[in-house]
Amino acid sequence: MIEISAISAFYGKHCALDGVSLTVQRGELVVILGANGAGKTTLLKAIGGLVPVAPGGRIAMAGKDLTAVPAHDIVAAGVALVPEGRGIFGEMTVRENLLLGAFPARARPAETRNLELVLSLFPRLNERLRQTVRTMSGGEQQMVAIGRALMTAPDILLLDEPSLGLSPIMCKELFQSLGRIRDAGLGILLVEQNAKQSLKIADRGYLIESGRIVGAGTGAALSADPAVQRAYLGAG
Amino acid sequence: MTLTLDILLSGLVLGGMYALIAMGLTLQYGIARIMNLSYGEFLVAAAFGALFLFTGMAVNPILGLLLIVPASFAANWLLYRVVLTPLVKRAKNQGMLEVDSILGTFGVLFVIQGIMQVVFGGALQSYSYLSVPVRILGTTLAANRILALVFALVIGGLLYLLLTRTRYGTALRAIAVNPVAAQLSGIDIAAASGLAFAAGGAIVGAGGVLISMFLTFSAASGVIFTMKALIVVIMGGVGNMMGALVAGLLLGIAETAVARLVDPGLTIAVTYALFLGALLWRPTGLFGRPAR
Repeated sequence: MIEISAISAFYGKHCALDGVSLTVQRGELVVILGANGAGKTTLLKAIGGLVPVAPGGRIAMAGKDLTAVPAHDIVAAGVALVPEGRGIFGEMTVRENLLLGAFPARARPAETRNLELVLSLFPRLNERLRQTVRTMSGGEQQMVAIGRALMTAPDILLLDEPSLGLSPIMCKELFQSLGRIRDAGLGILLVEQNAKQSLKIADRGYLIESGRIVGAGTGAALSADPAVQRAYLGAG
Repeated sequence: MTLTLDILLSGLVLGGMYALIAMGLTLQYGIARIMNLSYGEFLVAAAFGALFLFTGMAVNPILGLLLIVPASFAANWLLYRVVLTPLVKRAKNQGMLEVDSILGTFGVLFVIQGIMQVVFGGALQSYSYLSVPVRILGTTLAANRILALVFALVIGGLLYLLLTRTRYGTALRAIAVNPVAAQLSGIDIAAASGLAFAAGGAIVGAGGVLISMFLTFSAASGVIFTMKALIVVIMGGVGNMMGALVAGLLLGIAETAVARLVDPGLTIAVTYALFLGALLWRPTGLFGRPAR
């Protein structure tokens, strides 16, 4: 579905992303594991159009070239990013946030259906539709953020550290919801610190180090890999 | 009692004008992120336009709105496209854009002011349209002031409804709240910023026409209106329409009260005292969120 081939990104002279290639299919949950500063956030921002991709790389969605396309057109092509720090409209209500998600033309026909989907995934939002998002808890804000992204009717959902700052219970609920979103047919590319829980639900995973992909495998294979266990799962 | 009513009514008229032009500035500053120092110049240009239409072609200012408001929209859109878009594109962050746009529009201020000086001269101007007294609640007010207030309320109310009740208006407000999340919701913020800037220009054009109906003005008056609009915007909270309305009315009434009760020369001092108080007491505006 989405094909990323050999993309690099620079902050000034610093190379944050060095020839990364990966794919995500529909109905597939792919996790990216890596230490702080490994380039995970840059990777998602580059795909979402918030960070420019250096010449030579290519991002394509169902064959359509999305390299060097402005962020709003990437959303229009069916790729939705939930950035770190959530990317929501804090001064606006839950309802307004969700309606703004349905701004792209592609999202309009399915708006009612997607709103029902979001509210069934996150029933708590149903009773909070008129609340200002800034006044909600971190977990609820994350629901709004994911809900806003789902309202754009994406084929691929990019999530940057969605579990950051959530309580263990909230975290567990969140991962269950991600599993259900995947089962609804979306492709999910997930960047996570919480390697244990994310590998448990992931179909596949990539390891990223200093801006390079250094390993890949199925969720089960990565969980069983001793090197992964040492580096990310706190074993041995 | 009569004096109180008199002050309240006159203050409401003046405050309505301030609120209207502050709403336009908050569109430009809050959404398009341009601090436009030439804002008041567009107001004065619209006032001259109304004067020219009324005295030269016998077109009344209310009809003149139909011509001047679209012209001001177009002029501001062009200003954004031609002069400001290059600044937006090269700015690495909001602070840089703020400095560049202040310097850029400072230059535009003198260009427009100079052209108006050459065309209309430097003298104070006014014209007499509907300056008949009307009795309201035991006090009198000129009909043109009442008409100006009514139109300011209608235009401001329509703008408020557009911004809060339509999807595109909600998208415009969203840009003021979080430009990155707006892009991620598929909003083309470059195009929307141009539109918001032009809409702000349309509002200040309307404000200029309405103000010209009852205030004298000259080619050099622009800066006063820019300052007052800016003060109202900051008092009300950047990007906050309701805040602009309340702060604008408050300022109008306070100025009128001081002018009538103490001394007309003190109005500017009152403006700045209120501004200072707001900055010290609520730096993010009357309705602004607490500082993070």
